[in-house]
Amino acid sequence: MTLLDRAEWYDIARATNWTPSYVSDAELFPDVMTGAQGVPAEKWESYDEPYKTSYPEYVRIQREKDAGAYSVKAALERNRMYETADPGWLSILKAHYGAIALGEYAAMSAEARMARFGRAPGMRNMATFGMLDENRHGQIQLYFPHEHCPKDRQFDWAHKAYHTNEWGAIAARHTFDDLFMARSATDIAVMLTFAFETGFTNMQFLGLAADAAETGDYTFASLISSIQTDESRHAQIGGPALQILIANGRKAEAQKLVDVAIARAWRLFALLTGISMDYYTPLEHRKQSFKEFMQEWIVGQFERSLIDLGLDLPWYWDQMINEFDYQHHAYHLGVWFWRPTVWWNPAAGMTPECRDWLEDKYPGWNDTFGKCWDVIIDNLLAGKPELTVPETLPIVCNMSQIPICAVPGKGWNVKDYPLDYKGRTYHFNSEIDRWVFQQDPVRYRDHLTAVDRFLAGHIQPPNLMGALQYMNLSPGEIGDDAHKYAWVEAYRNAPYSKKAA
Amino acid sequence: MALFPVISNFQYDFVLQLVPVDTDNTMDEVAAVAAHHSVGRRVAPQPDKVIRVRRQGDTDFFPRTAKLCETPIKPMETLEFIFAEE
Repeated sequence: MTLLDRAEWYDIARATNWTPSYVSDAELFPDVMTGAQGVPAEKWESYDEPYKTSYPEYVRIQREKDAGAYSVKAALERNRMYETADPGWLSILKAHYGAIALGEYAAMSAEARMARFGRAPGMRNMATFGMLDENRHGQIQLYFPHEHCPKDRQFDWAHKAYHTNEWGAIAARHTFDDLFMARSATDIAVMLTFAFETGFTNMQFLGLAADAAETGDYTFASLISSIQTDESRHAQIGGPALQILIANGRKAEAQKLVDVAIARAWRLFALLTGISMDYYTPLEHRKQSFKEFMQEWIVGQFERSLIDLGLDLPWYWDQMINEFDYQHHAYHLGVWFWRPTVWWNPAAGMTPECRDWLEDKYPGWNDTFGKCWDVIIDNLLAGKPELTVPETLPIVCNMSQIPICAVPGKGWNVKDYPLDYKGRTYHFNSEIDRWVFQQDPVRYRDHLTAVDRFLAGHIQPPNLMGALQYMNLSPGEIGDDAHKYAWVEAYRNAPYSKKAA
Repeated sequence: MALFPVISNFQYDFVLQLVPVDTDNTMDEVAAVAAHHSVGRRVAPQPDKVIRVRRQGDTDFFPRTAKLCETPIKPMETLEFIFAEE
């Protein structure tokens, strides 16, 4: 039997709108679930997804992708990657799996919402595949780290992290709940697929796959590449949805969704990707600084996507670009100092050569962040490790759920951005975080940060041990310096002197 | 006399921190508690200087002997701790 080409039947097959007779259209597609913002159904029928596929094509390609990734894993199972990799690379893997694997299941629910409540038939069709994609990503990113669990309990956090009150897990949940678990189908198309996936994950996964190959972890490289090809397809759900919103007079609403999503995504990326690229990746394997990466992909490429769609740059664009210079350095210092509170071993990335590299990529680093590290190094050399761990909690941003931090030393610019709202004072990391809260205070007002919970008596006993228990961090899981402080020896009898420019 | 949490924004440090103090503490005592979590950990000591306290955004410091309960400082307010000559 001769089969028609896909192009000859695709438009008819995915024209799945109908006129309901048992319930009203509004009951079948409630606004709260569709997020159609009053744009009528017939307008959504012009939605034209740029990437078209059929179910048989999808299954064939996905089967090949899975076969490829799983065969690489099987072939390399005896290559002793775990034993031979730099500890900093293992930390990247642990942080990645814990922060992402179960988030993929959340993304699957979000895709399912688009598949059911998307107002455009094409969106529903694309999201059906996206839902299957995200299910695969959840499974494969739980299966791959599982082989390391018998050797290292921190890998168990690939599954465990989201089930705990560990602060990073709270930050990830809060962001993902906001961007795609508690949103309508249209909001998800814009915030998850366009802003988060096109803007950040798709590009970040490209970089991560390259780093993995450079480091010699071909299993992870093939896994990430396999996921990234799915992302680059289903991330295209948002673009045509934005076009329809803008063409039907909803630009302001669309712009707000984009601005909120980019603001929130940026914080998580600064935390996960920023630290990984500039500190955990061994120096000899670094291709680009995080700032260079952000300049190339976010400023150079994503900015153009926004403009091409007819959107404006978010109002805070310049401020966000300014943060490329410092926010992830502050996050790194915080994660390393509060290292017992994370499920991986932070790599300091603080050899004299690393500091030269940081100074080269971020002029002034030694006079700012370097000043704090100088004190830490002095304490470690003097045999006072107790001064390199915390005795109190950092204040956590009521939006990002990440500690409020900025530039120390000579460029000291740390500041609280408070907001009084209905009798409660909220604290934010920046004007951007505070602005997000102000867009929908009712949505965010009742959430308690880790510090709010501590003050409310939820964490008992009220000390570091109580906090570790609250975060479900058990002995053998709590973080410590990835290289067991070996890097400190480079400074014994040889104080760091800044490399001449 | 009551436990009173404030937020420390310590000069030259990189992060805001929770600092539990007491309403009967003087500003010097509040500063000492804040310093415990920053100075000698991530901020180099400046033994020839004192640490003064002010509200975020203010230029004037509270008197060093003023008790916390005598000031308008609210619980969980962000205070700046600044190295000063006296």
